[in-house]
Amino acid sequence: MISLRNVWVVAERDLRTFLNYKHVLIMRALWFLAQIALFGLVVNKMLRPDVQEAVGGSYFSFYAAGIIISLLYSTSVFIGYDIYEEADHGVIEYLLSLPVSRKELVLGRSIGGGLRSFLYVSPMLMVVLYLIWSSNPQSFVSPLQLFIAFLALFLFTFGVSGFSITLAVSIKSSDKFDIFLGMINALIVRLSTTLYPLVYMPSYYAGIAQFNPLTFAADLFRWGAGLESAVLTAPAIAIFGIISFFSLFTFLGIFLHERVLEGGSWQ
Amino acid sequence: MAVKAILYIMERDLRYFFRYKWWLAGMVSMNLADLFIMAVVYTRMVDPKIGNYFLFFSPGITITALFAAAFMIGREINREIRREISHYMLSLPIKRWELAFGRVLAGAVRGIIYMIPLLLTTLAVTALLAGNVPSALEILTIILALFLISIGTSGLSITIAVSTTSFEKYVTTRGVVYYVLFFCSTVFYPLKFIESVMPQAFALIAKYNPLSCGADLARSFLLRNQSIELFMPLDLMVFALIFASAALFAYMKIMQK
Repeated sequence: MISLRNVWVVAERDLRTFLNYKHVLIMRALWFLAQIALFGLVVNKMLRPDVQEAVGGSYFSFYAAGIIISLLYSTSVFIGYDIYEEADHGVIEYLLSLPVSRKELVLGRSIGGGLRSFLYVSPMLMVVLYLIWSSNPQSFVSPLQLFIAFLALFLFTFGVSGFSITLAVSIKSSDKFDIFLGMINALIVRLSTTLYPLVYMPSYYAGIAQFNPLTFAADLFRWGAGLESAVLTAPAIAIFGIISFFSLFTFLGIFLHERVLEGGSWQ
Repeated sequence: MAVKAILYIMERDLRYFFRYKWWLAGMVSMNLADLFIMAVVYTRMVDPKIGNYFLFFSPGITITALFAAAFMIGREINREIRREISHYMLSLPIKRWELAFGRVLAGAVRGIIYMIPLLLTTLAVTALLAGNVPSALEILTIILALFLISIGTSGLSITIAVSTTSFEKYVTTRGVVYYVLFFCSTVFYPLKFIESVMPQAFALIAKYNPLSCGADLARSFLLRNQSIELFMPLDLMVFALIFASAALFAYMKIMQK
């Protein structure tokens, strides 16, 4: 039986730990600014007028909405680095000694990891919404649409945290984890609609990208923000995709955490 | 004696470099993803008046590859400091400046070794799509220019690595440095677009950014779409000198702590 109180205690600890990384948080915000203010603005100038039309009028808005999702992803995977830091300092053994079951521990960590990244990204999310709405004041935004999109993004962050925990406890080597995550980041972001819509991808890339959780999250956020475009993934499919992703990695995280966490062998 | 000691350090770092097969595989996948996914898709979206974006970006891939590989030395030094392996390094019969110099050079050589296959990829791409094949002297000039970037990058990574004992801080700072240096350069887009969107100060930074100089210098030989300006090689030399010196100073200082 899972105690929600225990799950929350674990999640709360992760939220508090996150606030210790002030340097990292500031750097990530700069990272976001560089992507929006440098890459986004310049590339926006280089695109064909019909591409601008196809993405809802402004590629910059399309790109800004995608970048916030990649930021949400990159801050959610951060929980994996936390696990290595804890293994490095022997905190894992301390956590295992607590009167909290393994299931509660991983569920709490998954929720804490997702929640903290959502809270962290929220101000930047507001900036992106402001940019989108100010560039196209006529765009109609339904509060319900926005709420559904936010709820789905919430699940997305939990799923990504579960994914990161699954990788961290399976690999157990900080170097390999960093490399593997780098590889996955390179592919998962580029083979998604965070940077460009599916219609401009060659079919062999689009075939993969349409099942990418980042595609679901990015297109759902654009839909929620009122970016009207025919090139987005249908909201129902995107919601289904995110729920599947969340369920799979939360389950895998719990399953592996229970079996692999104990016994040391961390590198 | 100094040369021999430096060579020993470089040999050690090069051996380590080839141990990281996973690292190399990860980096290759990232660089190839930039070229064969991102650049391919943007080529379909970019205004054709600008030209073939894939062709424009392909020389840039050598810079991104070089940067990532030369930056790896910082990661290792950061780990050595955290794990106190630096104490063992100090016990070696090698002077501190030789140790520091060897590591900066090793980082640069690693960058060049890693970059060569990607330079060959770029040569193949530009030969096939643009029909340009540079002469041996031109290829040597490109490699020399990239080596200067590699020295500067290796120095930059060591300087950052010794400034923090936290791995996350190092990784995140690396990310920010990467984005700022690359996005404010001509690696991804031509200077005229930066000038049309960014304030004058940013355009100036982009123009004199060593990564821009390296990418434009490579483009001038590979695509023959622009001429080389005198400030480009000078800029690269200054970049290499400043960051190699900063790394020497910072590394020697941290080793004495």
